Amino acid sequence: MGSNAMRRAVLGFGLWASGFGLLLAAVPAAAQTELTGTYMPVMHEDYIERGPGSFLGDFTGMPLTDEGRAKALLYTSNLPSLYERQCLAQSAGVFQYRPVAMRVWKEFDPDGRVLAWVIGGDYLRGDIRIWMDGRPRPSVNAQHTEGGFATGVWEGDTLTARLTHLKTAWIRRGVGIPASDFTTITMHLTRRGELLTITTVQEDPYYLTEPHVVSRIYQLNPRGTDGTRQACNTANEIPTLEDTGEVPHYFPGRNPEEDYMVRTFNVPKEAAMGYAETLYPEYRKKLKGLYLPPAACSERTPGYCCGWIERQGLPGGAPNLTCNDGGFAELGPRGRRRTSDR
Amino acid sequence: MRRNRCTWLIVAAALALPSSAVAQTQGRGGAAPPATPRQAAPVDLAGQWVAVISEDWRWRMITPSKGDFPSIPLNLKAQELAEAWDPAKDEAAGEQCKAYGAPGVMRGPTRLRITWLDDSTLKLETDYGMQTRLFRFGAASTPAGPRTWQGVSRAEWVVTGGGRGGRRFGYLRTVTTNLRPGYLRKNGVPYSASTVVTEQWDVHAQPNGSRYLVITNIVDDPVYLQSPWITALHFTAEQDGNKWDPTPCDARF
Repeated sequence: MGSNAMRRAVLGFGLWASGFGLLLAAVPAAAQTELTGTYMPVMHEDYIERGPGSFLGDFTGMPLTDEGRAKALLYTSNLPSLYERQCLAQSAGVFQYRPVAMRVWKEFDPDGRVLAWVIGGDYLRGDIRIWMDGRPRPSVNAQHTEGGFATGVWEGDTLTARLTHLKTAWIRRGVGIPASDFTTITMHLTRRGELLTITTVQEDPYYLTEPHVVSRIYQLNPRGTDGTRQACNTANEIPTLEDTGEVPHYFPGRNPEEDYMVRTFNVPKEAAMGYAETLYPEYRKKLKGLYLPPAACSERTPGYCCGWIERQGLPGGAPNLTCNDGGFAELGPRGRRRTSDR
Repeated sequence: MRRNRCTWLIVAAALALPSSAVAQTQGRGGAAPPATPRQAAPVDLAGQWVAVISEDWRWRMITPSKGDFPSIPLNLKAQELAEAWDPAKDEAAGEQCKAYGAPGVMRGPTRLRITWLDDSTLKLETDYGMQTRLFRFGAASTPAGPRTWQGVSRAEWVVTGGGRGGRRFGYLRTVTTNLRPGYLRKNGVPYSASTVVTEQWDVHAQPNGSRYLVITNIVDDPVYLQSPWITALHFTAEQDGNKWDPTPCDARF
């Protein structure tokens, strides 16, 4: 190839490449972001709900209907211990309340276009497959699944998805707050650098008086070593229930933990029971002069009141305070310090 | 050969046209670039927003007990300070606003009122504690003076797509420094003067027309935190200012 021919080839490729690049920059879809990866939840908010699990009778921050509240109060944590319920998938939005990693990947059509983004589940939640091909939403009578039916669209660098066709499931794990199969979730996923912010807006015509909004942060694990757990094994968790046919529950008005948040944290009953008015600043006017914090962390507030919990299962005890931390205090930062001081 | 070259040029020109339109909307050149940050805004943050306290209710809506501070990656020094929290001492020192500095107030039960102070400064007011934050774009940054509860905030728009006469997408990024030491939470959880707060402000519209302001909030304090404290906060838009209710700082409630 002569030098002129080489120059022309380089010039031609340069024009093509720059033009193609500019074209990409001009198309809104080009704003999409690579979401593929494994993410760990950054549990710097709602630690209790996401880590060890909510206190029973703690519906704070929830806008429940009377029906939703009544249903939640029938719940006992023995219920998911039944064999047939141990591996039941939870709500598509429950990953916002779980302490485990999630994976995100994309699937392609035969022409190489992104057909769907998938938020990978584990044994307690189904995959959420967000279709990007504009397919129509199925009939309302179509099958409802753990992951539901989701379609997505890019809004700048945010992937916005709309989920319907979900199964009846709990919104928060471990405390019985219900969602119906008419629930819908609008989800916004924004990744910038290693941080992925996910906002979910859940609506439910039966159990929520207004949308339940949660915004969380996840951090990319570049090693991808935190895979989600796929296998679920059942075990006899409550031997006394085996073969009895009993379904653990509380009768209406008989839940002994209904006042737990009141007697433990002095939280007003209507706040503990999840009334929407308690979510907004003006509710504080009702509290002023009435609410008094517990005198101090103590065995009255078992488990998680006292200090930063160093990591799951290994809470760090706080000095001069008596905490029911499961005997792990010596393993926490203060425990280690006390040990080294001896 | 001449025809080939002409073809390349026509293709290149055609491809370049829409991109220059984008460049204009992004303020990167073109015939009429936005003159001010106010004009260049890819997202409208102005208006009144109310915090939806659906997370950490017990630590945000009410004042928790002394020593009750899960979720925040505090180091030992910070834990000891938090356990020595004495609101009476703060009141006596005239420091009732320690929990209302930029790293703390945004997680409070507050309404936000966001307006343009001028073409290059966004003003954010809170009714909770009656605080004012100023986000200054570009060269209009304020020289650092005495440390204040709200510090000094630099701001920039980040455009992420859209344009060409259609909806534009982007977010506000702010970095706040020069903070007066205060509390991350009402019950005396400390942050130091070395704290840097980085925030990304996104608005998400819903199918029913409602809008949520979601702030990805990174509080980095090398003195009291083991790692940056990273949270996401959400507010919903209000149609009017009827519920705006300025209340002064309170060291206890």
